[in-house]
This record gives sequence, structure tokens and C-alpha cells, in this order.
Amino acid sequence: MTETVDYVIDIEGMSKYYALGEDKISAVNKVSLKIPGGAFAAVCGPSGSGKSTLLNICGLLDTFDAGQYHLNKTNVGGLNETERTKIRRKEIGFIFQSYNLIPVMDVFDNVAYPLRLLGKDKLQIKAETAKILEKVGLTKFATRIPDQLSGGQRQRVAIARALVKRPTLVIADEPTANLDTKTAETIVALMKELGNQFSVTFLIATHDERMTRHCDKIYNITDGVLA
Amino acid sequence: MSTFLFALKNVLRNRRRSITTVLVAAIGCAALLISGGFALYTYAMLADNAARESGHITIADKRFFAEEEETPMQFGIDNPNDIIAVLEQDNRIEFVLPRLSFSGLLSNGDKSVIFAGTGANISAEIHVRGSFLQIEAGDINPGKDINSIAAITIGKDLARALKAHVGSRLTLLATTADGSMNAMDAVISAIVTTGWDEADRRLVLIDIEYAQRLLATDKVSALSVYLRDDRNVRGMQDDFLTLGSGNLMSKPWSEQAFYYASVKALYNRIFGLLGVIIALLVLFSVVNTLATSVAERTREIGTFRAIGSYPQEIVAQFVHEGMVIGIAGVFIGNVMAWGAAFLLPYLGLEMPPPPGRSIGYPLLISAPVLLYVAIDALIILLCCAAAWVASKKAANMPIMEALRHV
Repeated sequence: MTETVDYVIDIEGMSKYYALGEDKISAVNKVSLKIPGGAFAAVCGPSGSGKSTLLNICGLLDTFDAGQYHLNKTNVGGLNETERTKIRRKEIGFIFQSYNLIPVMDVFDNVAYPLRLLGKDKLQIKAETAKILEKVGLTKFATRIPDQLSGGQRQRVAIARALVKRPTLVIADEPTANLDTKTAETIVALMKELGNQFSVTFLIATHDERMTRHCDKIYNITDGVLA
Repeated sequence: MSTFLFALKNVLRNRRRSITTVLVAAIGCAALLISGGFALYTYAMLADNAARESGHITIADKRFFAEEEETPMQFGIDNPNDIIAVLEQDNRIEFVLPRLSFSGLLSNGDKSVIFAGTGANISAEIHVRGSFLQIEAGDINPGKDINSIAAITIGKDLARALKAHVGSRLTLLATTADGSMNAMDAVISAIVTTGWDEADRRLVLIDIEYAQRLLATDKVSALSVYLRDDRNVRGMQDDFLTLGSGNLMSKPWSEQAFYYASVKALYNRIFGLLGVIIALLVLFSVVNTLATSVAERTREIGTFRAIGSYPQEIVAQFVHEGMVIGIAGVFIGNVMAWGAAFLLPYLGLEMPPPPGRSIGYPLLISAPVLLYVAIDALIILLCCAAAWVASKKAANMPIMEALRHV
């Protein structure tokens, strides 16, 4: 009897090209990738290797030119921007290297924003935001604006924002690149812990060894080709 | 955070730039309100002038409005007192003044000048014309004695042409209703100015009974109806169709006030063009500010898009910011315009006489609620449109391009 595995990310022979004058540069070349639900996976590679491009495609921020991509069993290859936005809104969280918090919103509103997009009612938003802020240890910073926080605290806010809607997949692009070693360790541990708690799949682009140490699965990519 | 609070916080991000934009919107709003208010005040003044001169509604023979008379009083109204008695039963009517229009020559013995005369009830005439008939000398209503010499009021330029003054004896020469010539001695009781050069050169006001005697008629040219509430003009016009023997018709003042209509048409074009220019200035200024803001926040737009905002939701957010700028601008603009409307009467500023007039008029501006509502809505709408224009492209740019924006 064979065990059926539910893959959150199921990519087959995906390629992505960029035009450079008359030349066509391959950023991702015939990549095949299967990541099961709840995994804490990393894509590693040097700068320009295509790891960010691969992540952006996985996060439906970018499109691809060839191959197939099933996200949570949905073929997302032929979707238009509106349909991709709808999926991102509901099922994908993002953690950026530079945090990308909204400077005029306080911590609470930054974290609550994805829930507002989902049209949840005020009480629900308040409860779920408070809960995730407690998990990331920022309850007492809820009324601060991002400028009043340290780098580590900002990344915690970004993690809370990514997870507050209980997404299927979280895309994290170099989440520890701007952090010191100690803070980076804490952030990775927090991401892993919350990933396990919420059964969320993490796909992280990194070349940070502090990060990869905690990952269940590591994919190395060079010149757009997955090793 | 509510959408408006978020918009307000974004507007306050770059305070100096936002204040400048709000001030542009405020000055644009105030300029539109002040110029619109000035135009409306001018229209109201001219309308009042025209209505006082002709009456709110003029009742006359149908042919009076359409044809030239072959002989004086050919289209006059017979038995005007019967019609006046009927009209005076209507409590919407304040006055019904019979008027007799005639022309002829006014002579001092050495020189004769053409005049345009009006036979009227002089005391009522003073009442309805109010400040639009300014007495330069004498007493316009010295009382009448039908058996004594006629007292006339003449325009100041007519008096100057005849070297006449109050108390001067003159002779009126006119064609009677049956086509023969008639003359009547008269004494000047008052010299007046209407503010109109052409009228002041020709004006003769005389009691209607003397005018009827001069023209040898019992008819009057027209009946001027003055209403208690001028908003009833349109509603009442048709009520007069059954008067007389069916050959009478009524016309509201607005259909006879050609000067009012031409000034209104001219001002509408001038202030309309001015309004379009001001509106475009506001639009471009707000577009410019918000385009800078959009450029600075392109990465933020990318973040919103990544998280799951649709382009139209991002555009809506910027439109709210435009609305905040518009509301702030409108508030300040309203205070400025209302302040000007409030202060101008105390400053006593005068506009120079317009073409054809000899006296200026006070520089005042009206401040009707409807004008404020319309201009406020326009400015807010322009700011929203500017925000839409400024943000549409950025909201639809590829997400990765937006996220990489520096």
C-alpha cells in the first residue's frame, strides 16, 4: 500500500525567462519541486541563482513561462492577476527581508490588515490579532509604529502578519539577512515553532546557515537549476 | 484603523507638501466661491433692478409684446381699473401699477429734446423702484392737482440738455391716440438718475392722469404686477390668461430684461472659463502631490498587493487620501470665502460702473448654501479624481517591480 502525500507546492518542469535585449535569460530552468504540507523548507543559492524568482513564482507574485505549478492541488499556471490575488489574500503569507511594514500603521493594524482584507468582523480581527501578537511576544508593543521597534521586533510583526490569517503557505525571502546572529536565531526558532503550531508550510529563500540548520528540507539552486 | 484615519495619517506623512496641496485646494475653492458669489450677487442685483422697473409680471395686449404700434396706445388696455380691481383681490399680489409709455419732445422754448415718458402712479413708483431711482434734486412726489400744471420728474442728463432745474417750466409735445399733436405745460418737480446713461438722457415721469390727458386716452399701455414673493412668478403667469377679453397676455420680468440676460450670459462665460482654469489648477496640483506620494510609496503598494490587495483597493485608498485633502481644502476655502462675504459690506468697496451705466455698485458677494455645496463637491471630486489619476498606474504595475522600487 502506498502512502498519499498532500503537496502544498507541486512544481513540474517550470521555467522562467527574462528578455535581455534580443537574448533570453533563463532565471529558473526546468525546475521540479514538491513540498509537502507543514514543511519548513529552504531554497539556498548564491545571489542571482534564481532562488528569489522561484519563491516569487511560488508566492504567485510572478508568473512563469513553462511547466506546471499546483498550489494546494490548484493549477495556478493559467490564472490571471485577479485570481492570483484572491489566492494570495487567503492562502499565502509573506515575510520580507526588509520587513515591509506599513509605517503609518501601528503594530496591531499592520498585523490585522490581512484579516481586514478577508472581510472578518471587528471582534474576530481583534481576537485573532491579539492572539498572534501574544504568540510573537509583542502584545505590549501593539500600539507602537514600526519606527519605534527594533529590527527583530519588526520581523516578529512581519511573521505575525504572515501567519494571522492561518495561510497554507508562507514565503520568506531572506528573513534573517538584516538581523544579528542572536536575533536571527530567535526569529528562525519562532518561525519554526509557529509553523508547527499552525501546520503552515514555510518556503524560505536564504543563504544563511543559521536559517538552514532549522529546515526540514533544503533545495540548492544554481543558475536557475535545482540541484 | 478606519480607511479615513489611514488616509489622514498618509496625508500627514509629508506635512509641508500636504499643507501646500491643501492650500491650493483651499484657494481654488475660495476663488470659485468668491467669483461665483460675486456673479450671483450681480445677477440678483440686476434681476431686482429689472423686476422693480417692469414689475414681476407685465400684463398687456398680446400685440404690445410683438408689434410696433402704428398710433400711440393702439395696443393699450381698455378699462384698466376693472382689471386692477380683479387683480387686487389676489393676496399674492402687492401692487398693480398701470403704466402708460409714450414719447415726444420736451421743450424749454429754445430747444426741444426727445423724451421717453412713463405715466405712472408716482408715489407707488417711488416705492417699487426703491434705491434704483436716485433723486438728485427736488421732490419726486409733490402731490398732484389735476387742474393745475403737471409736475414731472426728468432724468439728470435730460435736464442738463435743456439747462433745466427744479421749478423750470417746460412743454411736453406728444402725438395723441388719434394721431394729432398735443402739448402740455409742465414744471420740473425732481431731477433723478436711474444709473443708466441712456435712460437719464430721455426719462420723463409724470402722473398717469396727466399722461392720459396729453395722449387724449383712457387706456394704459400695460399693467405692472408686483408680487409679495417673487418665487411665484412662474406659477402665477398663467392665472392672468383669462383677464380682459382674452386678448391680454402676461410676461415675467425675466423675458423682458434683456440687459440682465446679456450680462448673465457674459458673466456665465467669464466665470465659467475662470472656474475651469481654477479647477484644472487644483487638479494638476493635487495630481502632482499625490504622484510624488505614490512614487515614494511604490514599495508599500507592492507590499499591499503581495498581501492580497486588489489594485482597485489601493486606488481607493489613494482616492480617500485625495478626499481628505479635498475636505481640508474645502473647509479652509469655505472659511476664506465666507469671511470675504462677511467683511466686504464693512469695507464699502465699489465696483466701477459697467458699460452703459453712470453709477457703480457695491462690491458684495452672495453666499448661498447651494453654491457652497456645489463648489465643495466639485473640489472634493477633483481631489479624488487627481488621486485616481496619480495612483492608477502604480497600483497596476507588476508586484515584483513595485517591491523592488527604491
